[in-house]
Amino acid sequence: MQVKWRNTLKNGWRYAALAPILLLNGCAGNPYWIFDPKGLMADTNLFYLLVDVGIMGTIVGLTALLVVWFMWRYQKGKNRGKYDPAWSHSNTIEVVVWGIPIIAVGFLSYFAVTGTFEINPYNPTIITNHLKPASDPVEVDVIATDWQWLFVYPQYHMAVANELVLPAHTPVFFRLTSTAVTTTFFIPQLVGMIDVMPGMRTKNALESNNTGEYQGIASDYAGAGTSWMTFKTKMLSASDFGQWVQRVQQSPASMTYTSFNNYADPYINVHHKVAYFSSVQDGLFDHVIDEVMNGKTWPIPPMMTENMVAYMQKQNAEHRD
Amino acid sequence: MLVDLAGGWSPMLGRLAWSQIPYDNPILAPLFVAVVIGAILVLGLITYYGKWTYLWKEWLTTVDHKKLGVMYILIGLVMLFRGFIDGLMIRTQQAWGVGSHSSGVFGALHGYLTPFHFGQVYSAHGVIMILLAATPLLVGFMNIIVPIQIGARDMAYPYLNALGLWITAAAGALIMISLFVGDFAHNGWFGYAPIFELQYSPGVGVDYWIWTMELVALGTTLGGINILATIIKMRAPGMTWGRLPIFVWATLSANVIALTSFPALQVALALVAADRYLGAHFFTAGLGGNLMLYTNLFWIWGHPEVYFVILPAFGMMSEIFPTFSEKPLFGYITMVLASMAIAGVSWLVWLHHFFTMGAGPYVNSAFSVATMLVGIPTGVKVFNWAFTMYRGRLTFNAAMLWAIGALFLLLIGGLTGMMLAVPAINYMVHNSVFVVAHFHSMLLTIVYAIFASVIYWFPKVFGFKLDEFWAKTMFWLFSAGTALVFVPMYMLGFMGMTRRLDYVFNTVWHPYLLVMEFGIAVYMLSVLAFFALLYVSIRDHAKNQVGADAWGTSRSLEWLTHSPVPFYNFAVLPHISARDEVAWRRDNGIDHVQPDHYEDIHMPNNTGVAIILGGLTFVLGFALVWRIWWLCALTLLAIIALVIYRSFKGDPGYIITAAELEKMEKEAMRREAQVGKQRRQAGSGVLGEAIAYERSDLPPLVSRPSSPVGLDHRS
Repeated sequence: MQVKWRNTLKNGWRYAALAPILLLNGCAGNPYWIFDPKGLMADTNLFYLLVDVGIMGTIVGLTALLVVWFMWRYQKGKNRGKYDPAWSHSNTIEVVVWGIPIIAVGFLSYFAVTGTFEINPYNPTIITNHLKPASDPVEVDVIATDWQWLFVYPQYHMAVANELVLPAHTPVFFRLTSTAVTTTFFIPQLVGMIDVMPGMRTKNALESNNTGEYQGIASDYAGAGTSWMTFKTKMLSASDFGQWVQRVQQSPASMTYTSFNNYADPYINVHHKVAYFSSVQDGLFDHVIDEVMNGKTWPIPPMMTENMVAYMQKQNAEHRD
Repeated sequence: MLVDLAGGWSPMLGRLAWSQIPYDNPILAPLFVAVVIGAILVLGLITYYGKWTYLWKEWLTTVDHKKLGVMYILIGLVMLFRGFIDGLMIRTQQAWGVGSHSSGVFGALHGYLTPFHFGQVYSAHGVIMILLAATPLLVGFMNIIVPIQIGARDMAYPYLNALGLWITAAAGALIMISLFVGDFAHNGWFGYAPIFELQYSPGVGVDYWIWTMELVALGTTLGGINILATIIKMRAPGMTWGRLPIFVWATLSANVIALTSFPALQVALALVAADRYLGAHFFTAGLGGNLMLYTNLFWIWGHPEVYFVILPAFGMMSEIFPTFSEKPLFGYITMVLASMAIAGVSWLVWLHHFFTMGAGPYVNSAFSVATMLVGIPTGVKVFNWAFTMYRGRLTFNAAMLWAIGALFLLLIGGLTGMMLAVPAINYMVHNSVFVVAHFHSMLLTIVYAIFASVIYWFPKVFGFKLDEFWAKTMFWLFSAGTALVFVPMYMLGFMGMTRRLDYVFNTVWHPYLLVMEFGIAVYMLSVLAFFALLYVSIRDHAKNQVGADAWGTSRSLEWLTHSPVPFYNFAVLPHISARDEVAWRRDNGIDHVQPDHYEDIHMPNNTGVAIILGGLTFVLGFALVWRIWWLCALTLLAIIALVIYRSFKGDPGYIITAAELEKMEKEAMRREAQVGKQRRQAGSGVLGEAIAYERSDLPPLVSRPSSPVGLDHRS
């Protein structure tokens, strides 16, 4: 029932509201990622955005028109409207001007609360209430370093750096942490932002029924390499995903607690290098959190950010992947 | 040393070394040369014209709230310009460094700023615009206007007022010197934990950030105490709470916020300093630190601060709309209630700055609803302004245009604010340029209100009006700039562009970024128009002189006294009979009544202590940044000694005798009469010629109230 009226709303409002934007951009791929969601979470976000803008836009728009009308009607010397130099109070108007915002805020509060639960990153009911018995969720442990992403697939004992590959039609549950500083995990078309913090574990989830490639972003400033700390998210069909897993599992590199220590050293990923690790030492995610909580840091050398050219030469000389 | 410092440290100079001067930086080195030449030129001109004594006696040692306010506003305008240049640099970098094929110069891979330098630019932009441009500008207006509006001769604590100014000036100087000695923080204006910890920010940048913010916080807290005491204790006879001008109410609510919230910032930053200086672990990721605590502490100040700057702007708009609508403010009582409600709710919403930090849905829901509650009183204010215009007689002069611009920006900022208040939307646009566009809509509301106020109150302070043509030209250029920069920014937010990118990876965004760069160029033209405005207005000031009531339709008490306001504000303290006192006197035909006799006035003496303390505070900040411990100890001791010395010395003040006062008043009235005659011959403009005061020998006045029907305005 609820789903039905929501769909009507979405399809109706969405295209009505976005018609100018859609016309502007034609059909060659919508650059407005927020208006072009490809996953359940992002879809839900857009729904609430449209409800909010619908209600508030109406009020704000009408208020703007009212102001413009008053400006036109009561301009000095035009004698369009009556001038009443003492008029400054009306109980009716007071009730209306307090009433409209109160009703609007009350109405929006309902949506704000339901929406918060539906896309609660720790337990998004929009996904968890509709879990199909057959679809085994995929788990991904996300470890952000300065300034790379490591995606560990504990179910497959493998990891991928700076590229996230996921199966479509399957719920995905993330656990996230960081080695050095705080940043934010964000895939605009699939899932909203969640902070990634050192020594802490946050969670997020997504589900998408669309295959394709979507941009992932580190959306919180984490230092010099933040702008290059992007990753492609590939949603594959179940069979393609299986093949991809096999390919990763055949790669030569592996990730242990020791090699992770080197991997986590500050590195600006200007060439968007992707690396596959066929095996990952068990419990890496928890190990990283423990290490950080016990005081482990990966300090940034002062020279690193002052001059990018010198830094890039140093980075190349070290032949780091 | 309790902490390991990268780079050297010596007992004599601390971390200071020649290598910290960026003489090889292709942007900063020429700027430094220009600044030095400019400074020599200014100092030389002052010496050449022999103005040092004048400057010292009339300005640097003054405790006159109007002069201090003017200096606050000057600091604010200078910092506004500096912050604008930072904004221009940010926009240029983002318009240039787009896509992996974009070129790079000056050591940057793309564009012309290395990431570290870019981080400093936007962090400085934020700190400056909020704490050293908006805050001093607003505090300046509160300083000038509030005492006159409540019929006081000065602030409750004139010396404290001067001290607040010079500490704020010290903070401004500290952030400016970080350009040329060392570097500034790269962690954004609010700072992220734990990136500001020593391991991730080994330089002195974060230390500059800490002490600059601490100093502004100190200055603003002192100012807040002063303004609150002034409003509560210094009101003229008859100035009841129900007759308080609306700007004073706004100031009151804002300073309640300032007094209660700035200490939270000071504590948060002191803890950051403990981490960086003493090796503590308040906000480190490990060893028991809690980085989320910092974010909470910061925004417990940070959000009330937002309302600290927006409420006075609302107050300004509430003064300007009635004057140019020629009728009283609609719903005075609800306006007051709305201001107080905003101030109250401002304490309950800080978590909406980090919905994405992982709080549970119950917490997020609560803060989401609390945030939306702010929309109710704010909405009421907008409606009340609209109904102030309703049945009015609107004059669209420059001040009114700026105020209307502020109103429309507030509508846009309110709409997007209500979107951000919903976590389900916030997750998608948090940390994106959509947020940046939203809070620029809000802060530009303040900037519009400030420029409206500059035009509106300029004649009160200086005795002549600003040039209408250039004020309007500036308005339209500024508005075009606003549209060209922030409409594309909102669009980019919906495209998913995140903030603080020094390299823009998505070339689809490039055209929008170029439009924004063009918008910045238009903003630059509006800055030039502002200089033209000042030049033309000062050149033609003889033509544009005004009397007491500069606009002819003014309403509140500040328009009762002469323009420019004499240093004693009112020759005889007025007795207040109505909410809009000047309008009420005009309506009752007693705005030309003269006082029947004058009495001696007791005024505070000038003092050099405040500026010396400001200077010492600056040196202390500088010594703390560079960890020059002997200098810290020395300046701290000097400050304490000076404060104690001044406390014992006190200020007996001085007396203006009734005879002197009468002479000055006659002179002022003669001038105003002359201006009025010229104006009448020219056949334009309304002009209040003289001052009216309540006199015991006048018959009791029959009130024809211009205040709310159905409400006893005399209560």
